[in-house]
Amino acid sequence: MKSQMIDSTPGDVLSARAAYNERLARLADKTRAVWFPLAILVILLVLPLVQFVGNYNYMLHLVLLTASYVAMAAGWNILGGFAGYVSLGHNVFFAIGGYFAGMILARFGISAIIMAPVAGLVAAVFGYAIGLITLRVRGPAFIISSIAMVMIARLLFDNWHFVGGANGVTLPAPNLSSQWAKLPYYYAMVAIAAVTVWSSYRIKHSKFGLGLRAISKDEIKAESAGIDTRFYKVTAFAISAFFIGMTGAVWGEYLTYIRPSIFLVILIAANMVLMCILGGKGTVAGPVIGAVLLVAFNEFFVAMMGASELNILGTGVIMAVMLMFFPLGIVGTLALKGKLPRILNWD
Amino acid sequence: MEQIIQVTILGIGLGGVFALMGSGLSLVFGVMRIVNLAHPSLIIAGAFTAYWGFRLWGIDPLVMLSVATLLLAAIGVLLYKIFFERNAKSATYSEMTVLLTFAIAMIVEGALGAMFSNTQRVTSPSYATDAFFLGDIFIPKGQLYAGMVSMLIIGLLAAFLKYSRLGYAIRATTQNRDAAALLGVNVNMVGLMSFAIGIGLAGAAGALTSFVFSFFPAKHWEWIAVLMSLVVMGGMGSIMGTVVASFALSIVAAFVGAYVGSTWSTMTFFLALFLVLLFRPQGLFGEKPELL
Repeated sequence: MKSQMIDSTPGDVLSARAAYNERLARLADKTRAVWFPLAILVILLVLPLVQFVGNYNYMLHLVLLTASYVAMAAGWNILGGFAGYVSLGHNVFFAIGGYFAGMILARFGISAIIMAPVAGLVAAVFGYAIGLITLRVRGPAFIISSIAMVMIARLLFDNWHFVGGANGVTLPAPNLSSQWAKLPYYYAMVAIAAVTVWSSYRIKHSKFGLGLRAISKDEIKAESAGIDTRFYKVTAFAISAFFIGMTGAVWGEYLTYIRPSIFLVILIAANMVLMCILGGKGTVAGPVIGAVLLVAFNEFFVAMMGASELNILGTGVIMAVMLMFFPLGIVGTLALKGKLPRILNWD
Repeated sequence: MEQIIQVTILGIGLGGVFALMGSGLSLVFGVMRIVNLAHPSLIIAGAFTAYWGFRLWGIDPLVMLSVATLLLAAIGVLLYKIFFERNAKSATYSEMTVLLTFAIAMIVEGALGAMFSNTQRVTSPSYATDAFFLGDIFIPKGQLYAGMVSMLIIGLLAAFLKYSRLGYAIRATTQNRDAAALLGVNVNMVGLMSFAIGIGLAGAAGALTSFVFSFFPAKHWEWIAVLMSLVVMGGMGSIMGTVVASFALSIVAAFVGAYVGSTWSTMTFFLALFLVLLFRPQGLFGEKPELL
């Protein structure tokens, strides 16, 4: 036995390690329920059929809203969850995507659904540039700089006459009967949400994602282990900006107007953070669960009390309670106790 | 020339108020290492206290200042007991407390908005719209009084920190929490007291703010970045640095407002915050990079 180990070549070691890793991966596959998110996706894709038997516009609107929240939260999670850089300013990219696609629609009449990937790329370029500057600091300083980013963006958009200043721009509405008007946006948003969640799964299981997780644990050690932390962080920033920018593009056309006061308000940035904390930062399923819960909470608050101030109050209370008692979120806490149901294990 | 003097005077007037707003934030960060994003929302709570005192009973905001200070200090004790005492040993303390204070800011904003609605308000004692004239130069009385009271309070705070026993303990804890604890300072008690004093200062600043600026519950988001720029530029935890930074930035902002356009004057604070964070994160007067 001993001699065998000495005789073994590097190739043997590598293949043994590969076999071992594969066994671990098979074990993880057994506890993971890939079919569950796929089943949800299929249900969501056929859900609009209910429009044939009645008017369920409000339900479709709620699903669409949830899908947009899922996309934003999962996008935020790539930087805030995997890399551990909490940003309270990611709605800047929501605004950049919305404004870019909205202005293209207003000027050239190209639908934001087609332009969404381009809008995402524009947001990603801005994200890369801003990330190069703000990711030089970490912890509380990064959070403060992200708030300053929103304030600067709000001031610029409020005073930029080309995009309508504080009044914004009204976008043309689609020529569809009210029964079907929501469908293009519905499918676009569900697709964006699905792509975002799938991408965050792929990123988490890549070398890149491993590097990001190392950064979130201990940046100095990650750097000394040979990870190009600066490149990793800035790329993560750009990727998360990409998905949020795409969401903003479709959201702007869906609302048929773009205005600083719908994109650049702190509540949107707060919601992104809250959804991830609620579901579990740094997990794949966390942002999805957080988004579903947040929409449910909001519906409940509006139905019960009907005031946006109480909505802000409720958001704050939930966030504080989660932070104090379950800082790992629902998925994280359940996984820590080994009680995570299989259908919620997407990692 | 006269316009330059005029703009400088207006800048100094604002700087006095901002200095008091920022010093409480700085004190809390120095002792507790909490970046208190809820500070501006608590300032608004103080402003509402002064506003209702004036509206309902006609009490001068400068008198209501004492009530607002005590009320907010009591709220500070409550917040500390509920949110921060139990988390002091958490590994992700600094990041978690930022998010917690963010949540508190939303709670305060939502509560104030639900009770008093989101309309613009301002307390209007007779001096709020009055001014002294020196030749062609005018000095608004409201800002003058507010600035003087704020300087007085900051002077008292400085004396308290310098000469009282609790002040010694607070300064020791700011310099090195563990060493202070080893030397017999009850750091938990010091944290509680400094948190109460810091939030009390927010109440005092709110009472002054109530007749200098118009305010509404959601306004505090604008102030977060403004106050953070003052505190970061002064070196987090250094109260004198905060005071110097608020005068410097307010004067620059007044000039930007006068010569570039009034919409852009707040941009001064945001850009200063960005530049300081990037090139000198320890602030102009800080000694070591606390935040990195």
